[in-house]
Amino acid sequence: MKTSSPPDRSLEHPIIWVAVIGGALGSILLLKAVAWLAFPLILAVVLYYLVQPLLQKLQLAGVTPGQALGIFLGAATVLTVIFSILVLPKMLNFLSDFQNQIPTYWERLQSVLRDNLLALEDRFAFAKKARLADGMEEQLNVFLAGSGKEYVADVALFLLHWLPSLLLVPFLTFFFLRDGTAFHRLVLRAVPNAFFEKTLLLFDRMDAQMRAYFRGMFGLTMLDTVSLGLGLWFLGKGPGIFGFWDAMFLGLICAIFAWVPYIGSGIGGILAVATVAVKAPQSSGLMLAVVFLFLGVRLLDEFIYTPMTVGRALRMHPLVTVMMIFSGGMLGGVYGLLLAMPLLGIFTVLGQMFAEIWFDPRLRARYQARGMLEKRLASKDLGI
Amino acid sequence: MGLVVREDEDMNLANLFRPPPLDPILQVVSGVAIFRECTRGELETLKLHLHERHFLAGEIVFDEGEEGEGMYVVIRGKLRANRKGLLAKKVLGVISPGESFGEMALLGAGERMATVVAEEDSTVLAMFRPELQALAQARPRLGYKIAMGVALVLESRLRKVAEGDSSQPSAT
Repeated sequence: MKTSSPPDRSLEHPIIWVAVIGGALGSILLLKAVAWLAFPLILAVVLYYLVQPLLQKLQLAGVTPGQALGIFLGAATVLTVIFSILVLPKMLNFLSDFQNQIPTYWERLQSVLRDNLLALEDRFAFAKKARLADGMEEQLNVFLAGSGKEYVADVALFLLHWLPSLLLVPFLTFFFLRDGTAFHRLVLRAVPNAFFEKTLLLFDRMDAQMRAYFRGMFGLTMLDTVSLGLGLWFLGKGPGIFGFWDAMFLGLICAIFAWVPYIGSGIGGILAVATVAVKAPQSSGLMLAVVFLFLGVRLLDEFIYTPMTVGRALRMHPLVTVMMIFSGGMLGGVYGLLLAMPLLGIFTVLGQMFAEIWFDPRLRARYQARGMLEKRLASKDLGI
Repeated sequence: MGLVVREDEDMNLANLFRPPPLDPILQVVSGVAIFRECTRGELETLKLHLHERHFLAGEIVFDEGEEGEGMYVVIRGKLRANRKGLLAKKVLGVISPGESFGEMALLGAGERMATVVAEEDSTVLAMFRPELQALAQARPRLGYKIAMGVALVLESRLRKVAEGDSSQPSAT
């Protein structure tokens, strides 16, 4: 049995293109409206695609699908218990220390910003006239006294709001893993005979697309984390800025930001530079080195990591990508930013397959013929 | 009113140690040449990947020349395989319950070599190539058995065609 790669089909009809983009943006709006359910659902789908290969490996070793799921659940429970006993207390201590150090970090960040703006004022007359440093300090003080506190309260409320829905994730993942095939069959029963084979193909392509995307993104995140983490650790170990795990943690945060194409990497870079600025305010050379590190990892990402992991399946024209991300962000906030590209990928496959089915006159004729056969059967004894 | 204890088969203790009877659909599948070597457990696994479809008399299952994505096993009814001839359609033969057709699509994407039409209301089980590939990756022994089954069926058909017996409905 040879493995066939799906043939390259272009979207020939402009109306399909419009429908693809409209569908992707509409789904973002829909997902935002039911965010409380959509968020755990998306996480469960991601987890499903990450866990599925492990279960397949267990099945290859000779266990049944049910046993494989049982083994996985047992192992996950044991790991959670170990994590809760060994790692969680350390993490809570770290967070508590971090919380105590926030005022110090904030003061340092303010002073770095002020020093840089003063240097700018010394060099440029217009900056001096605008009193950039004083203005920035006033704005920050106003922010801290007023809306800053509100933001902290909002973030705390947001986290409390999401916590219960996160408990749904393992529950949903379990049922996806256990009953996914049966559900797939149930959905396919509703498809007319004429379109059956093509629809099966569509499901298979969508499944392959999502699997490749989520697994690829996981691999890409790991590679980015290791590259950035090692780079930051190497740069920061001399001046004593980062320990190994601090650097890896910062690398992971930046790699997660990079899920949002183009914009995310920039935000991650700014975060890393700001961290260095706070930890070593006098070391402008180090900040420059971090900028170069980010540019280097971006290049690695573009030419080696992405082709190795996510591949070029979801590659769109950069203009379409950027427009989709911004539109997604405007319509769905953080959701829209993260989901714009995967949803566009899924709707592109759907659009291609719909065009293939709907614009095939033979398939439509077969569908209509079935309708006529049903009509003839229903009116057999009516003498029409 | 006293309780009546029936001495029927269900009460026989020996029956408790016998496996329950095979699903009627799987009974048909187990008789198909491609799946003959599969064990009961493998057939149960296979069932999760079989799609039951109902066709009305006169309805086309697939057309000659279209891209094939899977094979079919007839459970009920009767189907006819046609091939375009120079002047008229050439009937390749009739496919009855327990027979399969469209197996070549399991080996790779390619055009269907005949049109299959339901002669009477029929029920078929469809097996889709990508699903079979996934199954073969998860259960290589089962995948091997099915691949060998397909190869043997095609070999037998080729042999018959070479011997001059052209009434092979399933060369689809």
